[in-house]
Amino acid sequence: MITRRTIFTMHRSVVSIRTSILSLFFAILVGGVIIAAAGYSPIETYATMFRGSLSSKKGIILSLTQATPLIFTGLSFAIAYRVRLVNLGAEGQLYLGAMAAAIVGYYVQGVSQCVHVSLALAASALLGGLAGLFIGFLRVKFGAQEVITSIMLNEIIILFTSYLAAGPLKGAQSVTVQTERIRATAMLPVLAKQSQLTIAFILAIVIAILLSILLNRTVTGYEMRVTGFGRRAAETGGIKVWKIYLLTIFISGAVAGLGGASQVMGVNRRFVEGFSASYGFSGISVAALALYNPVAVVFSGIIFGILRAGAMTVSRTTLIPVEFVSVIQALVVVFMAAPQLGLDLLGIPKNLFRIGKQLVARRAGSAEACHE
Amino acid sequence: MSDMLNLLTIILVSSLRMSIPMALTTVGAVFSVRSGVSELGCEGMMIMGAFFGMLGSYMTQSMWLGLCWGICAGTAISMVHGVLHISYRVNQTISGMSVNLLGLAIPPIIMQLLWKTKTLSPSVVSFRKIKFGLLEKIPFFGKIFSEMNILFYLMMAIVIIAWIFLFKTVWGLRMRMVGENPTVASTLGIPVKAYKYLGTALCGALSGMGGAYLSLGQMDLFVQGMTAGRGYIAMVINAFGRYNPAGALVGSLFFGFFDSLQIIFQDSFIPSAIMMMTPYVFTLAVLVFGLKNLRIPAGVGKHVDEQ
Repeated sequence: MITRRTIFTMHRSVVSIRTSILSLFFAILVGGVIIAAAGYSPIETYATMFRGSLSSKKGIILSLTQATPLIFTGLSFAIAYRVRLVNLGAEGQLYLGAMAAAIVGYYVQGVSQCVHVSLALAASALLGGLAGLFIGFLRVKFGAQEVITSIMLNEIIILFTSYLAAGPLKGAQSVTVQTERIRATAMLPVLAKQSQLTIAFILAIVIAILLSILLNRTVTGYEMRVTGFGRRAAETGGIKVWKIYLLTIFISGAVAGLGGASQVMGVNRRFVEGFSASYGFSGISVAALALYNPVAVVFSGIIFGILRAGAMTVSRTTLIPVEFVSVIQALVVVFMAAPQLGLDLLGIPKNLFRIGKQLVARRAGSAEACHE
Repeated sequence: MSDMLNLLTIILVSSLRMSIPMALTTVGAVFSVRSGVSELGCEGMMIMGAFFGMLGSYMTQSMWLGLCWGICAGTAISMVHGVLHISYRVNQTISGMSVNLLGLAIPPIIMQLLWKTKTLSPSVVSFRKIKFGLLEKIPFFGKIFSEMNILFYLMMAIVIIAWIFLFKTVWGLRMRMVGENPTVASTLGIPVKAYKYLGTALCGALSGMGGAYLSLGQMDLFVQGMTAGRGYIAMVINAFGRYNPAGALVGSLFFGFFDSLQIIFQDSFIPSAIMMMTPYVFTLAVLVFGLKNLRIPAGVGKHVDEQ
C-alpha cells in the first residue's frame, strides 16, 4: 500500500539522489577546468579515464579493488556522522587495523585459512575500534573535541606503526620499511583470478547492509538517529547519549580498521609504511556523496573507485597524477554541502553577460546623450 | 658548564624557531574565532601558504614575493571556507574540512605538472639569518638573536598589532561583538558578514604566512605533508591561549619547546619516531586536561539574517 509517508520518503530520496548527481557533475566540471589548465583536453582525458576503468573486465576489477578501502572508510565516517560525531581518525584506525592484521597474519601459524582470516580481521576490527573508543572516551569524559583528538591520534598512530615496521617488526629481507609477508593462510580469497579484488569487497557490502539494518530497524539505531538530530532532545527523551557516542565511534573505528586489514590481507600482503593513499580522508567525500546513508556509501565508494582506477590509467600517459581524484573528492564535499553554490557558479557567466549587456546599453545611452 | 649553556642555547633557539609558524597561524585563528567563524581550515591554509610560498619564490627568485604568494594563497583558500560557511551557511566543520581536503589535494598536482615529482620541490631562495655585527658579541642572547631570521621579528610585530587591534580599537571591539552575539551586533548596525569575512581572510593570510615560514624560513623547499597537523594544533593552542594573541604566543612557545625536543634527542637511544610523537601527545594532553573553564566566544557558528 502506498501511503503518504512512502511518497514522502520516495520524494526525499529522489531529491537527495539529484543533489548527489549534481554535486558530482559540478566537481567533475571543475576538475575539467583543472585538466584544461594543465594543458590537456578535458573531454579526451575523461574519456580515457572512463574507458580505462569501465571498458574492460580488468578495468572494472581494478575499479572495485580501488573502491574497497574507500567503502570501508566511507562507512566509518558516515556512521559516526549520523550521531554528529566527526571521526577524522579513520586514517589512524586504518593503519592500526592494518598493523594488527599484519601481526596476526605473520605470527599466528598452523591454523586453517578460515580461522586465520577471521582471527586477523577480528584483531584489526578490535584495535581500530579501540582507537575509536579512546576518541569517544576523551569526548564523553573530558569534552575534548573529537575533530582534533582524532587528528592528533592519527599522527601518533601512524608514527607508532612506522616505528614498529622500521624496528621490532621489520621484515628480515626488506630494504624498505615494511613487516614480514603474512602467511598464505591469512590471505583473503580472491574473487577474480590474478587480481587483488578479494572477498573484502563482499565484506564491505555486508557491513553496509548490517549498518543500515542497525540504523533503521533497531532500537539502538533509533536512539542513534535521535542523538544525531539533537543531543539535548535525545537526553530529554531518556537516551544515554554517552553510551550511543561510545558505541558508534567504536563501530566507526572498527570498520576503518577492517579497511586497513583489507589492504594488508588482499593487496600488499604486508604492512608497508605509508600504504594508505589517504583513504581515511577520502572516506569523508565518499560518505558526503552518499549523504551518510550506509547502503548508498557502497555506490559512492564504487564511483570514486572508478575515478581512481581511471586516474591511474590517465597518469600512465599524461602528467596528471592520481591525486587529481583527491581534488574531485574535495570538491564533492564542497558541492554536497552547498548544492546552491554549483548552480550559482553556473549562473556567473550568464550574470556577467547580463551586466556586460547593461554596461554596453548604458554606454550607448550616454553616447546618445552626448550627441543630443 | 659550557656544555650545559650550549645545550640551553640550542633548546631555546630551536624552540623559538619552531614557535614562529605556530604563533602566526594561531593569531590568524584568533581572528577567525573572535569573529565567530571556526578555525578548522587552518591546516589547509597552511599547506597552501607553504606550497605557494615556495612556488612564488621559485617563480620570482625573491623570498619576499614568495611570502606574498603564500599569504595570497592562504587568503584565497580561506575564502572557500568563508563563502561556504558565511554565505551558504554550511556546517562549519564540513566547510573547514573541505578547505583541508583541497589543501591536501592541490600541491601534488601542480608539483607533478611542473617537476614530475609529487613529494619534494627543488630548493628555492629563502630567508637567511640576519647579521647583527657587534650585537652578536653579547654572550648568550647575541647567539640566540643571530640564529633568527627576519620573520621572527615580523611575527612579534604581528602579535602586538593583533592584540592592539582586537582589544584597543573600535574595529576589534566590533569584531569581538560579532563573535559573541551576531544578533545584537547586527541590531547595532555592525556589518556582521563583513566582519566574519574579515576574520576568515585574516586567518587565511596569517596561516598562509605561517605555512610560508615552513617552506621559506625553516627550510628552502616544499615537502608533501610538511605542515604535519600544525593547523590542527593551532586550534588547540588557540583555545589554550584563551583566544588572545598574547596567549597564542605563549602557547606557541610551549609547543615550540616540545617540537624542538625531537631535534635535540635526534641521535639518542630513543627512536626518532617516538620522539616525533611528543608534540601530538602534548597537544592531546592540553586538549584533555588544560582547557578547564574554557569559554568559547558564544556566537561561533551562528548566523544572523541581514536585510
